Amino acid sequence: MWQTLTDLLTYLGVIIAGILVWAALSPIETMGWWAGWFGDTIHDGGIKPGNETPRLRPNPDAFLLFMSGVGKATGETLSFREQEFLRRLARAVPRLVIVDDIFPYSVNNMPLTGQPVFARLWRWALQRKLNGPRLAGYLINLRNIWQVLISADKRYGPVYNQSLAEVLLHSLLRYRYDPDARKPIFIMGYSGAGQFAVGCAPYLKEWLQAPVYVISLGGVFASDPGLLVADHVYHLIGDRDRSHRYGLLAPGRWPFSVASDWNRARRQGKVTIIRMGDMDHSGRGGYLDHQRYLPDGRAFVDKTVETIAQIIATHTGHTPAPQLQAPVHVAQAA
Amino acid sequence: MELPSLGETIRQALALRESIFLAVQQSPQGLWTALMVVGLAGLSQALGQSLVLFINHVRPRRFILAVAASVVSYMAGYLLWAGSVWLVGTYAFNRDVAWVTVAAVVGLAYAPQVLAFFELTPFFGSPFGVLLSLWTLLAILVAVRVALDLEMWQAVLTGGLGWLLIQLWRYTLGRPIYALGRWMERIAAGVELRYRAKDVPNLRRRPVWLTNMDQWRTRRATAKKPAPPPADPLPKNIHDKDATA
Repeated sequence: MWQTLTDLLTYLGVIIAGILVWAALSPIETMGWWAGWFGDTIHDGGIKPGNETPRLRPNPDAFLLFMSGVGKATGETLSFREQEFLRRLARAVPRLVIVDDIFPYSVNNMPLTGQPVFARLWRWALQRKLNGPRLAGYLINLRNIWQVLISADKRYGPVYNQSLAEVLLHSLLRYRYDPDARKPIFIMGYSGAGQFAVGCAPYLKEWLQAPVYVISLGGVFASDPGLLVADHVYHLIGDRDRSHRYGLLAPGRWPFSVASDWNRARRQGKVTIIRMGDMDHSGRGGYLDHQRYLPDGRAFVDKTVETIAQIIATHTGHTPAPQLQAPVHVAQAA
Repeated sequence: MELPSLGETIRQALALRESIFLAVQQSPQGLWTALMVVGLAGLSQALGQSLVLFINHVRPRRFILAVAASVVSYMAGYLLWAGSVWLVGTYAFNRDVAWVTVAAVVGLAYAPQVLAFFELTPFFGSPFGVLLSLWTLLAILVAVRVALDLEMWQAVLTGGLGWLLIQLWRYTLGRPIYALGRWMERIAAGVELRYRAKDVPNLRRRPVWLTNMDQWRTRRATAKKPAPPPADPLPKNIHDKDATA
């Protein structure tokens, strides 16, 4: 009995040590990219160049870059809820080009399953995620969490966020974004990708000199300089969502860090926190659930779609849908 | 006196156990053990702070060389530190202790820096680095106290005076030696180490995208429908390699 317990603790210790070493090594990819070790190619997100046509809109008013949460392994593995949400959003805002084939957890849009060395491991993990046992699939989540932490780190963040901004710029150009027209860009980060949305906003704005808005859907983000640079930040949070609170691990998000980017952005009225009602972070009861309904009869996903459509309408001069109220600036902390 | 294994020695030093510092002082292998601890700490710290090498575009092979040079430099710093502690102990507190003995104990005090590799960890690495510095400071105080048989306040004073001595050396006679060290690191890295960690927020990879954009758009506009996709719509080498502050 005692021996078994000791063995168990030893295995647990080895696993924890392995995870810590893995975490420590995780910035090598980002920094190696900066140093030029891995070349400069930016990969397409599964949609080959030239095949973006079905998603293009004539005369678009705005572009929305959608980045998914930490469970993603490639640019294509959007869950059915995410796909349904984007489909409804596209219908609600007909002159919006939605770019959804971004894999933001890599410096060059390369999916995990396409990596030169570990592709097999990630394919296996993706299969486990889809078919079980799901615990093994969480390797992907863990790996992607390191990337979020890299983006939030003051040492690596400026490098990672630049790499991601280049990926986003690459995607915008693939979707026929005209830099001279300076159409508004909405960077939408769901869950952990909220940090990416905030982090890469300054670089996109610097390069394109266009309006850049951040939409965080239950986003986890630190106090990043991007909060001050983005034209506006919308932070959508549900009452049941606890995951977005991981962002409060960053001292800059604490109320008494008065000089932090987060608190300065809030004082300048650049952040609007939108309460989404009785919604959870993901899955059933989450922001994108189309089978749960609000007291007024709208499905959760429709409320989310309408809120985002309203935000886009505010900045593009679209006529807002009549049943929607303007986003409210919430004064208290998230 | 027999020393436990290297791992166990480090573990006990991390726990700031005085007995292990005494054991290193009295053991004939004490100095070698200390040198191994300092070497490991140097390697770990060089990796933990390798951000500077990356931001200066050091190539992979040169990266290994630069890390090796950093370890050599770290060992030299250790010898200097041990020497200054010995000098203060001998002349300020009249302790008659061999330099080698002081060096062995002070070397073991570098044990917390063996974990400096984990400073690489995103987000949590920086606060961990602060924790490690405090931990090392405590280990050095314990080591100095044991090595020179001092009271705690005397150990604190010795540490402070030793630090002052090093600063004096650094800005006077030691200046050419520090310059030599920097030259060695630059040669090993193969590039000018122009940027420091504090420069990171101001660094930019200037993509040629913006200058090439017109050309790229024209190419796409003139292409037949559906637009024949080039293998890569953008040139392979799309970035200006020179990061500018």
